[in-house]
Amino acid sequence: MTLWFLRGLRTGIVTTRYPAELDAWTETLPAPPRFRPELLTEQLADGLVDVCPFGALAREGDELVVDLGACTSCGLCVEHGAGAVVPGTVFELASPRRELLVKRVPIRGGP
Amino acid sequence: MTEPASDLTATTVLPETQPGVGIARVDTTSLTRMTHELSSEQGARLADLFATEAGDDAATFRVVYALDREQRYVVLESVVSGQRSPALSQLDPAAFVEECEIYEQFGIRPADGRSMNRVLTAPGTNRRLGWRGQGRDGRPDRAHAPHLVEGEAIEFPFGPVRAVGWESLYTGLVTTGEEVLDLYLFYWHKHRGIERRLVGRTPERALFFVERADGLNAIGNGLAFCHALEAAAGSDPPAPAAHARSIALELERIYNHTAAIAAVCQATGLSVGQAGVEIVLEDLLRLNAAAFGHRYLFGVLAPGGVRRAPDRDAIRGRLERHCDELQRVAHALLHTNSHVDRLEATGVLELDVPRRLGLVGPIARACGAELDSRRDHPFAPYDQLVPAVAAAQQGDVLSRMQVMLAEVAESERLIFEQLDESGVAATPVTPRSAEGLGWAESPRGESLIWLALDDDGDIARLRLRPASVRNWRAFDDAARSQNVFTDIPIIEASFWLTVAGGAR
Repeated sequence: MTLWFLRGLRTGIVTTRYPAELDAWTETLPAPPRFRPELLTEQLADGLVDVCPFGALAREGDELVVDLGACTSCGLCVEHGAGAVVPGTVFELASPRRELLVKRVPIRGGP
Repeated sequence: MTEPASDLTATTVLPETQPGVGIARVDTTSLTRMTHELSSEQGARLADLFATEAGDDAATFRVVYALDREQRYVVLESVVSGQRSPALSQLDPAAFVEECEIYEQFGIRPADGRSMNRVLTAPGTNRRLGWRGQGRDGRPDRAHAPHLVEGEAIEFPFGPVRAVGWESLYTGLVTTGEEVLDLYLFYWHKHRGIERRLVGRTPERALFFVERADGLNAIGNGLAFCHALEAAAGSDPPAPAAHARSIALELERIYNHTAAIAAVCQATGLSVGQAGVEIVLEDLLRLNAAAFGHRYLFGVLAPGGVRRAPDRDAIRGRLERHCDELQRVAHALLHTNSHVDRLEATGVLELDVPRRLGLVGPIARACGAELDSRRDHPFAPYDQLVPAVAAAQQGDVLSRMQVMLAEVAESERLIFEQLDESGVAATPVTPRSAEGLGWAESPRGESLIWLALDDDGDIARLRLRPASVRNWRAFDDAARSQNVFTDIPIIEASFWLTVAGGAR
């Protein structure tokens, strides 16, 4: 066991200060997208609903309902979003109530 | 493939529609005879057996044999009418699990009347996924082939709910108290009906789900899918994309083997070794994210190519350091007697088992079976970058770990050999009314996919055969070889299969 003890001394502590500080490497992690309401049209919103494989998007009147609890950050909506959907950076989404993960995005880009 | 003149009317050898794959359309009598010839006389390896709809009360059986030394696959196609099929597993035991699957899916069982096991869905679940066999009177009537538990032996269940984070897996253990006399597995709790659910989808959407069907083999299974699609289209990906794909595949192999070694340490109770390896594992997952944008390499592949090229600077700056650290930790592990004692002669697979059961990957190679589809059925770039195939001879946990360590080193070499030639590119592929067979050497072994596309180019039938499907059937053999309860987690870690890969 001596060699493991010496290895441990040599390796040192690898535990980071998270959540006190975000680890730098997390900047490129996939995260749920952000939507730009002014570029979001009704037609685009309907298309995004079809594209999402996980049912995280739904259309209710003039709002796009985004269920962050169902989103897996796969990026398909960003790919098909024509600029109205951009990669997000926030992955710390834990919430005390399920309904807090459901967001409503106004559709302001017209038909 | 040549046939005696008197059998020519019973066999139609189709022109080779894709390189390295020969297809013979046969009647059921010839199917039996050719299965016997291939398995017994030519030493071919059964790679898969599955069925597709062929009209009312009929199904087309496809038996895929790998002639590894000749670098080709042979597919025997035979239309089976009614509810009885040739008893192929009598000729080749490697076909039994697949015969059970076909019985559940189509209600067709071998004519010899042998007891079938239920393998796809749990009894009484009433899950109807559209397979013809579900709901018929011919449903499997027993959950498990009967065996006698006599004398002082008892049988007790373990799972399917197991420790946090472990996949659902039911283990039936037969024991006198400590020694494992017999063991059987049910992995149907995780069945998701993926093959059925992908019918009617576009290839692009199907690839998305194939990657995630068995997430630790996203590249292995995804690449097999892309190859099948490209074979159906008669096209090849651009060379830079082929290199990018290979780099992703080798990165997947490296992190999976590292995770397996960590799991073996956890199973033996060597926490300090587990921590050392898991530090490397975390570094490798972060490297995956830096190189390809995803820790588990999702979203890299595209039909006809790749969606992104690897970040060469990230790989050059970090891969060698992480692999060197893994080898240092492994050196310490192999010089820790209390750890090695738990690995040697544990979970032994006899050297004939890979051949008898059609095993693939490190499990087979640890028994001396030097199979590797990268070398035996090469596609670009492995036709030029031929990997050295690692093998061992003892078939125990230690052998499997040694094979994995050797493969990590070889994967590192292959990545650096082609890093400068990789890039993002894709050749559009839009096959219609076509079929294709694809394969790739995933971390767990040969992953195989066969697909058929309809007139619109959507999936008409998908056969998804990850390596885990072939290898889980050897777990009971490994567990029975004079092991005790506490050896089971060690053996499972050394197999490093996925339940998701079996229960797709």
